[in-house]
Amino acid sequence: MGTPARSAFCSPAGAPAVLDRLRRELCAAEAATGLTPDGGAALGLGISAIDGVLSGGLGCGALHEIAAAHETETAAATGFALALAARQALPSCESAARTGASAVSTRITGRYLLWIAEDFSLAENGAPYGPGLDGAGIAPERLITVTAARDRDVLWAMEEALRCRAVGVVIGEMRSRGIDQVMTRRLALAAAAGDTLGLLLRTTPHDEPSAAATRWIIGTAPSFPRAGGGDERSHGLGPPRLTARLVRNRRGHLGAWIVEWNSVEQRFELATHSEPLAGTAFDRPHRAAVA
Amino acid sequence: MRQWREAPSPLAVFGKCGNLDLLVAVDAAAERLGLTAGLALAQARAMHPALTAMPEDQAADARLLEALADWCQRYTPLLAADPPDGILLDIGGCAHLFGGEEKLRDDLLARMTGFGFTARAAIAASIGAASAAARFSEAAITPTDDERDLLGPLPLAALRLSSDTVAALARVGLKRIGDILDLPRAPLAARFGAELLRMLDRALGREYEPLTPRLPVAPYIAEKNFHEPIAREEDVLATVERLATRLKAALAVRGDGARRLELALFRTDGVVKRIAAGTSRPVRDPQAIRALFVERLAALGDEIDPGFGFDLARLSVTIAEPCPDEQIGLGGHEDQAELDRLVDRLSARLGRRRVSRLVAHDSHIPELAVAALPAQAMARAELGWEAFRRFRVQADLSPRPLRFLARPEPIEDVFALVPDGPPVRFRWRRALHEVIAVEGPERIEGAWWSEEGGPARDYFRVEDKAGMRFWLFRAGLYRDMARALPRPRWFLHGMYA
Repeated sequence: MGTPARSAFCSPAGAPAVLDRLRRELCAAEAATGLTPDGGAALGLGISAIDGVLSGGLGCGALHEIAAAHETETAAATGFALALAARQALPSCESAARTGASAVSTRITGRYLLWIAEDFSLAENGAPYGPGLDGAGIAPERLITVTAARDRDVLWAMEEALRCRAVGVVIGEMRSRGIDQVMTRRLALAAAAGDTLGLLLRTTPHDEPSAAATRWIIGTAPSFPRAGGGDERSHGLGPPRLTARLVRNRRGHLGAWIVEWNSVEQRFELATHSEPLAGTAFDRPHRAAVA
Repeated sequence: MRQWREAPSPLAVFGKCGNLDLLVAVDAAAERLGLTAGLALAQARAMHPALTAMPEDQAADARLLEALADWCQRYTPLLAADPPDGILLDIGGCAHLFGGEEKLRDDLLARMTGFGFTARAAIAASIGAASAAARFSEAAITPTDDERDLLGPLPLAALRLSSDTVAALARVGLKRIGDILDLPRAPLAARFGAELLRMLDRALGREYEPLTPRLPVAPYIAEKNFHEPIAREEDVLATVERLATRLKAALAVRGDGARRLELALFRTDGVVKRIAAGTSRPVRDPQAIRALFVERLAALGDEIDPGFGFDLARLSVTIAEPCPDEQIGLGGHEDQAELDRLVDRLSARLGRRRVSRLVAHDSHIPELAVAALPAQAMARAELGWEAFRRFRVQADLSPRPLRFLARPEPIEDVFALVPDGPPVRFRWRRALHEVIAVEGPERIEGAWWSEEGGPARDYFRVEDKAGMRFWLFRAGLYRDMARALPRPRWFLHGMYA
């Protein structure tokens, strides 16, 4: 394996390809030892800039941490986690999505989604709401919600669920501080064993060590009003926008993006056409009137 | 129980009867001193100043009787408490398990004495005869057809009649059951009521008296006696597996599987621990049943206090359902089975109500449109989302929030440009939110047919300056204030991504 690599290094154009190949080989070797379980199929976000940083996407059989930038922004972090869950169910029925007549074709097949949450977090941030989930592309038929009084029980239930082959995505929602690194390690191993996407949803950012493959901090961002929203006084809400900061990544670089969720095609788009620096007041005369 | 065991002697318990404190029970030492139930407390104290008297506690007595009845389940599943001081056991078909009726009675009395109770027991063919014999006679076992001989010499009170009837009978000189056995029935009934003859017939076995069991009788039961009590968790689990193996054969014969199981552990000191576990699909597999109880025992932790050990374990299937024989290992069913096992494990450890499926309800009121029901019960049920989706498309329903507050939270300092218009800013949990985008209103009528229906709500989807999105509503209209309706109030009901 040594010789072709050396020859490739000679030509500068071949270098990225070689790096890619080496990275892949390294990943494969690591996966085989079972020591760094961030492998499995890659779940792309649908944005090349982000997928590139993640070398293809998020590992499906791995644990990822998603924290809200602030507790009040938990709904945004929830939206990000659910979008990943919706995308995870996607490939199995891609053809159905393409031919689907309704705006949001909700998929009822596929593996289950388990949403495990602490009581306190549900009381503070609201419970999953079926009709809303259905609109976001998560079929409530495939959802099982679990509540637990203590963070210990949340972690235990997550581990059990991650090992189950019938479950595709496990969202574990926690409000308490401090999760033991050993515990995240166990979760990561369980995710690898069950080939299940584990999402640890936290209501505030933490910087404690963790065995998660990636760590995201998700905040809200003002939406860009829908094109052609006629009425001047009150325009509608545009597609939701999130600030996604990748603050930890075992596979590569970090980054920060503003992404927009396209609920029709169930994919993320990079928010290009408006950085909310100056435009907001200008576009919104009713607000100017108030001020 | 402890209190009375350690209480000084002689001891009497008194209760209020009208304005008078009367003794209701005395211990053996007090009885030897000539005290009896029914004596006035003042008189008893005057006779024996050393007497310790305690007020009675009927609720505690009832609880004790229930606990004892529970314990008696080791002899038969068919039993009922017979307040204030009796327990009825239907031992038909069970006696041979204990070596015959005589042995069963001896065992029961020996254990009761061991617990510190003074107990009497009698076996007869009818509830009435057994109750009369246990309370008023020395006869231990009455053969069928001998009820006349048994009951004849006993006082009429043995028939479980009201004290008024007994007193009325006594006034005309009828004191013993034998006195009325051969009297013409019609005049008796006319004078003392039909109840007298009914109780007589029941005691004689002429009329069948059903026993209403305290607990429903499980369709499948397996149990194991231990000569040496067991206390370790592993032993309990091994026993569960052994019992489940025995149940499996019985279940297979009738094509059933267990949906709910109960493990009853009889502690040597008379306490019965009951542990229930449910499943989402009928199961027969002993390993799966054991796994359920592993989680239950882990969840209960120290609550299962084995004390000096359990000397009887009983595993019963309280709810059984037909369980089709399935092929194992072929295709998609395997996944479903695995999910069911996961749900069962989570439910066993965390509680049945904590593992839920969301069920769509046909209601336009947001908080009633969906309910979280136990996943174990809903494993095969229709959840109703198909109908909801049709409705959403038909009605062109505006997007619903991802997260929903169980109780709408009031928001303050709401400022709207026009009274019934959308909010421009509002304060929620002390933070001020400035609205930059609005959709709505979507009017949702309150439940006008109900007293607590509340006013109509106007829902708005709003986005604040930071990009946070909320589902707000105003309950009521400002213009309705002219009709003396209360001032409208604003609430926050949900959050969007």
